[in-house]
Amino acid sequence: MKKTLLAASLASALFAQAHAADTLTFGYAAYLFDDKFSTILRNGAEAYAESLGHEMIQVDANNDQGRQIDQVNNFIANGVDAVIIQSVDSSAAQPMTKALADAGIPAIYVNRKPIPIQQLGSMAAYVASNEIESGTLQTFAMCNQLRAEGKAGGARGYLLMGQLTSEAAIQRTADAEQVMGLDMCNFMTLVAPKTTGQWQRTKAQDIMTNWLSTGEPFDFVIANNDEMAMGVVQALKSAGIDMDTVVIGGVDATDDAIAAMKGGDLDVTVFQNAAAQGEGAVNAAIKLLNGEKVDREVYVPFELVVPSNADQYANRN
Amino acid sequence: MAGLAHGLGGLKYDPKKRHRPPELNVFVAFVVIVLLFEILGRLFVGDSFLFNTRDGIDTLFNEARLRIIILQVAIIGIIALGVTQVIIAGGIDLSSGSIVGAAAMVGTMFAQSSINQYGMENTAPVLGLAFLDLPVIVAIVAALAAGLLAGVINGLLIAYGKIPPFIVTLGMMLFARGVANWTTKGKPISYLQEDYAAIGAGMTPVFIFLGAALVMHLLLKYTRYGKHTYAIGSNEQAARMSGIDVDRLKVLIYAIAGFLSALAAIVLSSKALTGQSGMGVMYELDAIAMAVIGGTSLAGGRGSVLGTCIGALIFGVIISGFTFMKLDAFYQEMAKGAIIVAAVLLDQWRARQQAARN
Repeated sequence: MKKTLLAASLASALFAQAHAADTLTFGYAAYLFDDKFSTILRNGAEAYAESLGHEMIQVDANNDQGRQIDQVNNFIANGVDAVIIQSVDSSAAQPMTKALADAGIPAIYVNRKPIPIQQLGSMAAYVASNEIESGTLQTFAMCNQLRAEGKAGGARGYLLMGQLTSEAAIQRTADAEQVMGLDMCNFMTLVAPKTTGQWQRTKAQDIMTNWLSTGEPFDFVIANNDEMAMGVVQALKSAGIDMDTVVIGGVDATDDAIAAMKGGDLDVTVFQNAAAQGEGAVNAAIKLLNGEKVDREVYVPFELVVPSNADQYANRN
Repeated sequence: MAGLAHGLGGLKYDPKKRHRPPELNVFVAFVVIVLLFEILGRLFVGDSFLFNTRDGIDTLFNEARLRIIILQVAIIGIIALGVTQVIIAGGIDLSSGSIVGAAAMVGTMFAQSSINQYGMENTAPVLGLAFLDLPVIVAIVAALAAGLLAGVINGLLIAYGKIPPFIVTLGMMLFARGVANWTTKGKPISYLQEDYAAIGAGMTPVFIFLGAALVMHLLLKYTRYGKHTYAIGSNEQAARMSGIDVDRLKVLIYAIAGFLSALAAIVLSSKALTGQSGMGVMYELDAIAMAVIGGTSLAGGRGSVLGTCIGALIFGVIISGFTFMKLDAFYQEMAKGAIIVAAVLLDQWRARQQAARN
């Protein structure tokens, strides 16, 4: 509450200045300050806004959707120029969208998609990375590496899914399967049906060890995230398997994954650029304020991470 | 008069009424499941579940599979040992999975090294540079103390606060997970020392599990602690009347459960080479399931460490068996749930049969 009041008084002070100096004031409603990805995202947005000479007020909903709605209404009451929201609950965004639209203030949702997306009118947008890209980039890079290793005649492997209820797990898996269906990559086949490691390192470790007990030769392991890829790496290493003979791919570019990549154990991962999403949100807000048209959904590309560029991704997510 | 043996009050030896260890039912179920996978494997996969069919390897059994069957349940098995005695005493512990998360964070915090396995330098230690490369025993003691503390709090609230165990441990489940998340604000702890990593390497988790199982078996079977635990689970009022310090015993029971959860946390974080606040999610349910499959009665007073160990093995066989059968992920979960219920149903049915015979 104190934070909200403080933000409110700040907002009114800044609002008074804004008109004088032609700087814009953004309200940034974070779902939770204590979240690394979310922090990089909002810091990216703030740094970018300030580099353009604008101001940004950040508030923390502390993972409480009710509080976030109050905070957005406070922003409106204090007349900020635009509001950027990483919503607590994507299906509960509608009240905020409506309040902002009624007040004529641009609403930019970032990272978490408001459901349904049709609620966004002409003065609203959604900025994020497109989940379709991550699994595609990952599997395609693995396909290329297998080709380069001369395995285009036939490569067999395993696929580890995240939690079965997770949208990201379903999407990444579908994309991996789609890539394996391409003419160029259909030499990649699965030894056993895909199974779930529930995003967890230890689960993946045990599943990989089970697979090893079948004695089937294999060339690659696709994992929906880096934690499971790390579990695969650890299982293979403790079984004494030469890591150069297997291509392993994850998603997320975590610190551990980058370290394993630099150590030669992990081959492919994918980076979701949080800071760029923050910048994209600020850009979308400015465009809307200038009366330019902005697509309803703005996508910031995922970035492929392989050993040759791993250094620049260390400690970024 | 013909049916009564004179002088024995009718208690003549009757081979049909001979006492059979209750673990036998569970063991039979275990053997049946193993054989089922062996037969199904030969029919549908064209491979043996138990025996080695690979060329170039000179062993009778598929040793890699036998190892992973027990390795993958060793960690939850350690938790299940503590949960077993809690359930025998008529209680329940929902907090064990969260205690694993909290203890893993506390332990790994003190187990950080200045350099990782790839020779990279640790630039952001959780507790600062002064806490790097401490003797491994510090991390172990810290984690165990955290688990013990959580267990003691559970026990005190249940015994002296007179709150039902379900509520207390539900509260601890949320609280301990909160502590785990709070320690590093959700960030994983990496850069663990090699000595710490050795605890969970290779088959060590299995030896730790078996060691803990032996201790718990002796404790429950041959000590006053064990006999009193069964007593309060069978009839708490009667136990209290007969002079057992029920409250003190309850604190001890939950303390041991917390301690074992922390032990599991050490092995888990060491095996995974990382401490993560999400560790142990849902482990409490798997641990309870292992105990229940092993013949531990949720009504209290009945169960054994041996049964729980076999229950754990059944779990391991099911996981490995499904991978072996190349079943899709979605079917695995359905079948796992069905088998848990079927195992208990079978056990109940056999127990009723036996009761009817007596």
